[in-house]
Amino acid sequence: MKALLPFHLNKVGAGFPSPATDYVEDDIDLNGHLIKNIPSTFLIRVQGKSMNNVGIHDGDLLVVDRSLNPKNFSTVIVNINEELVVKSFLREKNETFLTSGSKKSEDKINLTENSEISIWGVVTYVIHAL
Amino acid sequence: MLYSKKKFALVDCNSFYVSCERLFNPSILKKPVVVLSNNDGCVISRSTEAKKLGIKMGEPYFKVEKIIKINDVKIFSTNFALYGDISRRVMKTLKQFSPQMEIYSIDEAFLDLSSVKNDNLLEHCYKIRKTILKWTGIPTSIGIGTTKTLSKAANYIAKKEKSGIVDLVNSKKVDSLLSEVKINNVWGVGRQLTKFYAKNGINTAYDLKKIHNGWIKKNTNVFGSRTAMELRGLPCISLEPHEEKRKNCCVSRSFGKKVTKLEELSEAITAHSLNAAEKIRLDRQTVKKITVFIRTSPFLNKKNYYANSKSIDLAIKTNDSIELIKQALIVLKNIYRKGYRYQKAGIILSGLEDINSYDKNLFSTIRNEKKREKLMKAIDYANAKYGRHSLSIAQAGIKKIWSGKKQHYSKIDTASFKLLPTVRI
Repeated sequence: MKALLPFHLNKVGAGFPSPATDYVEDDIDLNGHLIKNIPSTFLIRVQGKSMNNVGIHDGDLLVVDRSLNPKNFSTVIVNINEELVVKSFLREKNETFLTSGSKKSEDKINLTENSEISIWGVVTYVIHAL
Repeated sequence: MLYSKKKFALVDCNSFYVSCERLFNPSILKKPVVVLSNNDGCVISRSTEAKKLGIKMGEPYFKVEKIIKINDVKIFSTNFALYGDISRRVMKTLKQFSPQMEIYSIDEAFLDLSSVKNDNLLEHCYKIRKTILKWTGIPTSIGIGTTKTLSKAANYIAKKEKSGIVDLVNSKKVDSLLSEVKINNVWGVGRQLTKFYAKNGINTAYDLKKIHNGWIKKNTNVFGSRTAMELRGLPCISLEPHEEKRKNCCVSRSFGKKVTKLEELSEAITAHSLNAAEKIRLDRQTVKKITVFIRTSPFLNKKNYYANSKSIDLAIKTNDSIELIKQALIVLKNIYRKGYRYQKAGIILSGLEDINSYDKNLFSTIRNEKKREKLMKAIDYANAKYGRHSLSIAQAGIKKIWSGKKQHYSKIDTASFKLLPTVRI
């Protein structure tokens, strides 16, 4: 799963050495950028089209961190009716809700009233191919 | 006290394979679930609900098929790619709680918690349990004791406790708790020793603890008295944080359907040899001795039952796939008998040694050794890059009709882009 993009620098040879070699650190590491907590982070693929308006599309990869607690407007993976689905997490006054990203109020699920619904993880990045 | 007070925790994942299957499949969260061994042969992991139905560990599928059908028990074939990845995550999480840790198996680890104050032990372990559940989704049980054997016993009791944690370090009822642990469930007491102890009225961990040391020393071996001393709180077995390199490597599978022909058995043995050779090359080891074994179903009557195994000592230590296959097939031909319906075949490489001690042998049968080493490297590289079995040896078969059935495979691998779990939006 490691994807490394190398910096191409001069090979040591005759002549004046590259002044950039003083600044060489490491290869750029997308894993380190996208994954803050390795053991708790999972990649999950998306199926369906109902969240295009929040920037999640069919076939996208979600980076999901289970160790995080959701904040207002977090995108989360939840277990509803024996299935894992993607929802938006909202906090209003002392209550928390889940929505599908649409403005329709019937889509809004009150989390405080539905204790059987559990949050599986918090989506931290969407990887979308263009 | 004569010795410094050590504190160990044994963290064990509950119904580990089942818990892994449940992670991405909430529809089976509260239902009875079992995972079947290779070739869907035996039950090797059970959810609490399945245990309550009376399904026993290790029972062959056909014996519990009725219970499974009647109660709509969900069944899964093994998915070791998934279990391996989840296991690595659990162990990485655990490591943050104690740098002194020994990974004991795919789903359990010992932690050295000697630096944690007695008063904080329980709270510390609650935190471990909570963190593992949140981060990886895997429920665990934790046993705490002043020796590894005691922590194992504590874990055994913890499995039945709602809190999931039993602390024998601070407990005032250690003896009554130990009398709940049957002698065959004590760590280090095998089948033979259990029989022997039972004959002498030792039926629980507590019985073994209070028995006179002289008697144990006289009547059992060093391991027997070590276990008894550990139960008394005298640490004899230390933590082994560094994974020891394996000394044996066994690859075997049950067949998907019964196999009768030598050619099919040869294919299987070739594939297993390749697999084993790849493993030991990865660990930079060489092998001295190869054992091949074949057998029919053990449930057959005497007339139709056949099992045999034979070993061959290699003139030169090697990890060359082609050489290993050659030798393994010679052994196979030797033990193969016509007219039996074979159920299982396997290969064991033993006398494994580090490659450093590899010395050139005058009698090497491999010509062009340097070239062959390069060939093996190329095969390993290609398989690492393009997926296992991308590059194989034709003799291992392409169709592999003998290979195991995996009818209930969950097709999820959290460490492979091709098989990532999916969510609906």
